[in-house]
Amino acid sequence: MRTTRPGSAHPLDELCAEVDRLWTTLIAAPPLHGWGSTPRAAFPAVNVRETDDAVLVEAEIPGLAPADVSVSVADDALVLEGERRTDGACPAGEGAGNEVVWHRRERGSGRFERRIPLAVAVAADRVEARLVDGVLTVRCPKAPEAQPRRVPVSGG
Amino acid sequence: MVTMNGSVPDRARDADAAAALTYQPHVDLRVEQGDVVVVADLPGATPGSIDVAFTDGVLALHAQVPARDLPGRVVRQEYGIGDFRRQFRLGEGFDATGITAVYALGVLTVRIPKLAAERPRKVPVQGG
Repeated sequence: MRTTRPGSAHPLDELCAEVDRLWTTLIAAPPLHGWGSTPRAAFPAVNVRETDDAVLVEAEIPGLAPADVSVSVADDALVLEGERRTDGACPAGEGAGNEVVWHRRERGSGRFERRIPLAVAVAADRVEARLVDGVLTVRCPKAPEAQPRRVPVSGG
Repeated sequence: MVTMNGSVPDRARDADAAAALTYQPHVDLRVEQGDVVVVADLPGATPGSIDVAFTDGVLALHAQVPARDLPGRVVRQEYGIGDFRRQFRLGEGFDATGITAVYALGVLTVRIPKLAAERPRKVPVQGG
């Protein structure tokens, strides 16, 4: 079946043009979202591991410098806060000589706050955080009372 | 496969690498006065582990991400760790020799300049 209309080379060309138009109208950066299956999963996504003496939380926050993120412990939760700014974002219509056309905009931006509940008490004053190449690693040492205690068994 | 002392045998590492998942990074792609700028989130990569190739009008990004061996048992797993791979068909008219790529804070920024011949040229009009 021939579906080509006069004036258009191919129906797919029209579709491409329409998709291009849609992309260029999506000027605003998307909000931050993680890697989860839902499109608005919490940001940042975290992986959590637990050893005998610490809880290790890892999060991917590319684009943030150490000064852009804050890590704190409050109410039995680890709180990650920060802001990711858009880069090189020239809003449309900033002048014909400075034209920017967005084709994809998947990297979210904006402020985020994520609370990760901690199942055990941690020593808040000894929490350490490192940010390297966009990967944040937080080590929360368990409070002494939360660490497993080996009970010596004495013979009689 | 992990041995008792925690090290991974080479052969198992190769097998693991082949079986490991590859992820599509989140990207921004914009055109600035004809130049294409691709910004990709590649957390956990290093400048030396990133391969940027432009062949026949196709920009291919590949970043090897080394495993991050943290101790302990998994309590929560919201993302996987593996190589990033993605490519874009940009077409003709770009200056392959002028491509620049910068990696900082886990973010790769690639700029593919338009060929000078493709840029709009303003022709001065002379009076007679």
